[in-house]
Amino acid sequence: MAVMSEVKKPNEQQPTAQEKSSVISRRELMTLLIGSGVTLAAAAALAEPLSPAVAQLLQAQAAADGHKPGRRWGMVIDLSRCVGCDYCVYACQATNDTTDEMRWNIRIDDRTRTGEVFHLTRPCLHCQHAPCVEVCPVKATYHREDGLVVMDYDKCIGCRYCQTACPYGARSFNWFDRGDAPNPRVPEWGRPEVPRRPRGVVEKCTFCIHRIDAGLARGLTPGVDPAATPACVNICPVHARHFGDLNDPRSRVSQIIASTPTLRLREDLGTEPSVYYIPPKGLA
Amino acid sequence: MNVSSLSARQRSRLLLLWIVVLITGLAIGLASAIHVLNNGLGVTNLNDKSPWGLWIVVDLASIALGAGAFTLSAAVYIFRMKRYATIARAAVFVGLLGYSSAMLALFLDIGRPDRFYHPLIYWNIHSVLWEITMCVVLYSTVLVLELVPIVIESTPLKRYRLLRSLSHGLHNLMPLVAVAGMGLSLLHQSSLGATYGILTARPIWYSPSAPVLFILSAVAAGPALTLFLTLLTGNVLRKKMVPDDVITGVARLIGFASLAYLYLKLWSWLASNYYSRLPERSQGLELLTLNTPYGFTFWWGEVFFGAIVPAVIMLWGRLRRNRGLLMIGAGLVITGLVINRWNVTLSGFVIPFDWSPGVGNVFPINEYQPALIEWGVALGIVCYGWLAFTLGIRFLNLYPEARPLDDQSPQPAAQPHPLHPSVPGAQAAPGAD
Repeated sequence: MAVMSEVKKPNEQQPTAQEKSSVISRRELMTLLIGSGVTLAAAAALAEPLSPAVAQLLQAQAAADGHKPGRRWGMVIDLSRCVGCDYCVYACQATNDTTDEMRWNIRIDDRTRTGEVFHLTRPCLHCQHAPCVEVCPVKATYHREDGLVVMDYDKCIGCRYCQTACPYGARSFNWFDRGDAPNPRVPEWGRPEVPRRPRGVVEKCTFCIHRIDAGLARGLTPGVDPAATPACVNICPVHARHFGDLNDPRSRVSQIIASTPTLRLREDLGTEPSVYYIPPKGLA
Repeated sequence: MNVSSLSARQRSRLLLLWIVVLITGLAIGLASAIHVLNNGLGVTNLNDKSPWGLWIVVDLASIALGAGAFTLSAAVYIFRMKRYATIARAAVFVGLLGYSSAMLALFLDIGRPDRFYHPLIYWNIHSVLWEITMCVVLYSTVLVLELVPIVIESTPLKRYRLLRSLSHGLHNLMPLVAVAGMGLSLLHQSSLGATYGILTARPIWYSPSAPVLFILSAVAAGPALTLFLTLLTGNVLRKKMVPDDVITGVARLIGFASLAYLYLKLWSWLASNYYSRLPERSQGLELLTLNTPYGFTFWWGEVFFGAIVPAVIMLWGRLRRNRGLLMIGAGLVITGLVINRWNVTLSGFVIPFDWSPGVGNVFPINEYQPALIEWGVALGIVCYGWLAFTLGIRFLNLYPEARPLDDQSPQPAAQPHPLHPSVPGAQAAPGAD
């Protein structure tokens, strides 16, 4: 700070009676006025880029309150059927080309209150109120119109705040440059359908977005036609996974959710996941 | 060792040794940084369960310790406490060192340093981290603006008329710049706490008091670092860097800020751990206490030695008058702040997310210890700060009213107090020792 010797003007050295009695001097008043002026100007300047964002927020609010436009992709995983074979884990690894350390879809074994073991697989839950989307400083992870939470690998700066915020640990960071290292699940479990991600960015399950988009373009129905359906759903030997449009009441997932008790992971956090689980016996 | 009792020759040797040590540390840091940039963050001990570590602690601590700049600038230009101008320059310089250290740490910490500017062009106005980035960039600009006149005035640059008038123009803008600086600082210092406080999934972090605790601790620790460095410099140079009443005023500011911090910290703790019992939070705290020195470092490092003891030193006139004790007090506040930022950052990651509807204990606690390479980078950043400060003391006029210890010449004539003209002057201001 430039703290230079203050040269006092003669008229300031002898303040008038009026100035003496006033709590705030003219100079202070001016500073205050100019300061608030600049603040207001900054606020006005910021309001311009902010207004579309606010409009968007209001629109999203209206959409959430009333009718449901467009699609919202979701999944139902039947824990009472899952046998813990890990097929979905491996198929995902091959299709999306991930290593064992950075699986997008994982399996854990837990038990119910009655002590029975059940297998829980977890893709990205594609939350409607996704903490990762809210905290990303650069909008590298964002919601598509169809509800999918996706990554823009070209924007991501690798700050890993999304990993810190995601309550489900569904995000992996590219700690290393993978180069051409072989993928242990290829070709046994499938072939990579998407390019490898570069070192230094975060990645996550996309519900096989490439299959959904290409399938829709060919007139296929995701969740019904295997070519338009996530690899993990197709491969499940016990049909424990179902995929489809949660906004379409006729879709398989909507019908299951309407007819069967389901739960979502950590509903208490208000994240509104798009993945529903049919609980195993003893957990419902 | 009492530096001031050494001969001039010994002192210049000591200075040389000090600089050599710092340059060595800087070289280690540089080598570590190059290794990280070449090989990626995989060479650290960070992982998907503990994605933030030592460098985020360095980042948070540097920004908080740089808070002396906005606090003392605000004192001079907004609250019109002109006498603090004698220490505010140094505070601004230390502030810039803090913020540049933080930016160095962040530059290495992000996975794609080549995209460090992305937050400036891709805005997510909903993200506290975006807001922090914008504020830190803008506030660093403020600090540079505040520092430019000092650099021009203290170096041969002042021979150029254009630069002199630039310096003068900036000086006239200073009240505005200080208002902007205070606004920006209040925003991002607290948002750094919000970075943790808003995460619903992390029971130890999730707290409405986190942003306020962050800014209060920064208001205590920022001036504490400035005070510590001022006293240390005075001791080494055998000079009185700033008038005694300024030291007193800054010490009392630190004391009161520490008390305010303690007050909120106590209530925050009581509300979330004593008067209420959220299972997740109490289990998390239990995990922390069992597996880490969190309980010990929280109560002894952050609360007792980091805030209570220094508050007593800073506010009790008899203790405060002892310069050695005052330095210890400032050092304790600084240490307490670093421990706090470490505890906050790392504790939240130790406790695993529990997202399974089952009742089994399936999520192991997360462990993280900084790798040697992370310490290397941190060492480099700390040495950068010390080296820049040492050179700043040598080449910049950071303490315009520094005078020899044995100087008996009268202080410059007391100026009327800007807010209360009837008060005789700064030198006799209440609270002066």
